[in-house]
Amino acid sequence: MHVLMMALYAAIAATVLAAVEPGAETTRERVIHGLKTFGYFLGIGLLLSWILYPVPW
Amino acid sequence: MQSTDEATGSVASQYTDHAYPLDDLKPYPMPIRVVAVVVAWLVPGGGHLVLGRFGRAALFFALLAGAFVFGLILNGRLFWPVADTEAALGFDLVTVLWSFAQIGAGLCYIVSYLLGIGTEFQAQAATFDYGNTFMILAGLLNYLVIHDAFDIAAGRKH
Repeated sequence: MHVLMMALYAAIAATVLAAVEPGAETTRERVIHGLKTFGYFLGIGLLLSWILYPVPW
Repeated sequence: MQSTDEATGSVASQYTDHAYPLDDLKPYPMPIRVVAVVVAWLVPGGGHLVLGRFGRAALFFALLAGAFVFGLILNGRLFWPVADTEAALGFDLVTVLWSFAQIGAGLCYIVSYLLGIGTEFQAQAATFDYGNTFMILAGLLNYLVIHDAFDIAAGRKH
């Protein structure tokens, strides 16, 4: 459930960020930017959860 | 014989890094800029609709209004600043910041408030925190979309 929500959050944020990205001028560039952003969201989220897992508070 | 400047100038125009000519960028008249920004706040994607960017308008409306409604379905709540006499500014800072974030969603926030949807904290619902997060996401991203609409209206981007 939590990972699913994180993925949905990442998908929405990445899509909007890609659509407003001023550096991307073509649809292809926007799609690549969006996919990268989505990957960063998921990757960093999973990494942080793995690092914080043993923290008891 | 062509000079170096003439030769490079004629070739450079064929090799541009931009997918469209930059001189196409033209600012909209001031009244349209103001309307675009106000409508962009009220309705996610509305500013882009005013400026004729129909595809992006539909995308932003679907994503941001959808995220806000999804948050309400997950029992998220509407935030507003709560007075706290012990806090530095007289208000609980978290509620101030979260209110600011959610108010970015414009009419989504206002209509929900007027209809009494999401006005009560539902701690018994397991998903209320997910709901809050999606509603905050919708508002914050809409601030970015408002900025994008302003940039288009000001002639800074397509």
